[in-house]
Amino acid sequence: MYNLLLKELKLGVSPFFYILPFLTGALMLIPGWIYFIVLLYFCWITVPNLCGTYKAQNDLQFSFMMPVTKNDIVKAKIAVIVILEFLHIVVAVIFGIMNTQLYPNINNFFLGPTVGFWGLGFIMFAIFNFIFISMYFKTAYKFGAPTIAAITGAMLFAGGAEWLGIQNSMFFDLFKGSNSNNLFIHLPILFAGIAIFAVFTIIAYHIAIKQFRKVDI
Amino acid sequence: MLALDVKNLNKKYEQFQLKNVSFQLKKGYIMGFIGANGAGKTTTIKSILNMTQIDSGEISTLGKNFIEHELDMKQVIGYAFGGANYYTRSKVKKVTNVIKKFYHNWDEAVYSSYLKRFDLDENKKIAELSEGMKVKYNLALALSHGSKLLILDEPTSGLDPVARDNLLDLFQELVEEGEISILFSTHITSDLEKCADYITYIHNGEIINSSEKEEFINAYRLLNGDNSQLEEVKNHLISYKKNSFGFTGLIHNKDFDPTSNINAARPNLEEIMIYFSKREDMYV
Repeated sequence: MYNLLLKELKLGVSPFFYILPFLTGALMLIPGWIYFIVLLYFCWITVPNLCGTYKAQNDLQFSFMMPVTKNDIVKAKIAVIVILEFLHIVVAVIFGIMNTQLYPNINNFFLGPTVGFWGLGFIMFAIFNFIFISMYFKTAYKFGAPTIAAITGAMLFAGGAEWLGIQNSMFFDLFKGSNSNNLFIHLPILFAGIAIFAVFTIIAYHIAIKQFRKVDI
Repeated sequence: MLALDVKNLNKKYEQFQLKNVSFQLKKGYIMGFIGANGAGKTTTIKSILNMTQIDSGEISTLGKNFIEHELDMKQVIGYAFGGANYYTRSKVKKVTNVIKKFYHNWDEAVYSSYLKRFDLDENKKIAELSEGMKVKYNLALALSHGSKLLILDEPTSGLDPVARDNLLDLFQELVEEGEISILFSTHITSDLEKCADYITYIHNGEIINSSEKEEFINAYRLLNGDNSQLEEVKNHLISYKKNSFGFTGLIHNKDFDPTSNINAARPNLEEIMIYFSKREDMYV
């Protein structure tokens, strides 16, 4: 599995997608923006391009020719997605910290880069992964419908969270009001987000291996 | 010992099915797997390697059940589907560096010797290699991790006659010591006449015959005769073609009466293939 992951990172993923998180992360410096978009670029750009590369380079046959099992192939591909998602989030967090230093007194209309916000980011990726992974491995090459469905799910969650932040006074208070710097509330949100991300991705993995077993390469 | 044992393989698609495919390859021999385009050669090979889910059947490689020992088996089986057609924009060197990490028995010296022998430039991109070179690259990879069984899908298609001949010589050299066995599919039957020890013939998803090459060819007779003679043997013929002088047809040797006056000759593999595929046309 480790070798397969190395293969993905060296051959499958274009170096561009390791740089992209820095380009999109820098968008965190736009004051008062919708910061979910920064993470959504991963879903919009990286995922379909990655899958397109796999398809164009005959990756499935290549991977299967190596001494690995079908489960290993699924595991490695999911690991790549998770690694890139973490990269996007970590880089965005760094730029997010710069954002809070640059604009200490700004009143964000949308959710600002608080600690809890990144927990919501993880939940958004959890939803994306769950839908995308559980659909993609039905064929392991058709990525259009899974990407659109997963992006829709992620964007509905992001839209819903932003709407709550505007409409709901408790939510407003939590993310933009007096509690926006309260780590006792925000850290649990972050950890809960990471936990949901892990659970959703693991469930998706189990669905994916069941489907991928039936795929004829 | 058997290098490959395929038993009652069944796989059904909407338009096509493999029906009870069974054959055995003894260790240290070359088996040619022949059949027309779409006869089921690649599907059989993919089923052997667990790339497609079979409906029923059992596959053993090098004496072990393939599915149960998939990882171990893949370490000692080399396979190639035509030439290298993956990551074609990457350099040979880069792809090899990734691949070799997967194999416990990777032998860099053997790999270098094959690169030299095949005149392969590691700094070229895969896309820059000719079709023949792509096949050779795949073979170099398969041979450098100590494969005991080579399963090659149409390795000679797309190669020029010289490259094909070189490749067939290499195959014979590989099996010489009795350690390596080769199954290779092809529709170029002259390749097999040069180097195969065994022939397995698949037609329309069914194995028509699998046996030692001479035995395989001797199982059939190619008849030549006039129209009156055609009437005598018509019911026994696998199929026949009419021409202005009479007919030419293929018959099972056991169905042929050598005392008759009909001119009988030893067919070649191509003729056997052609008359078998004609059989379908005649009865449809």
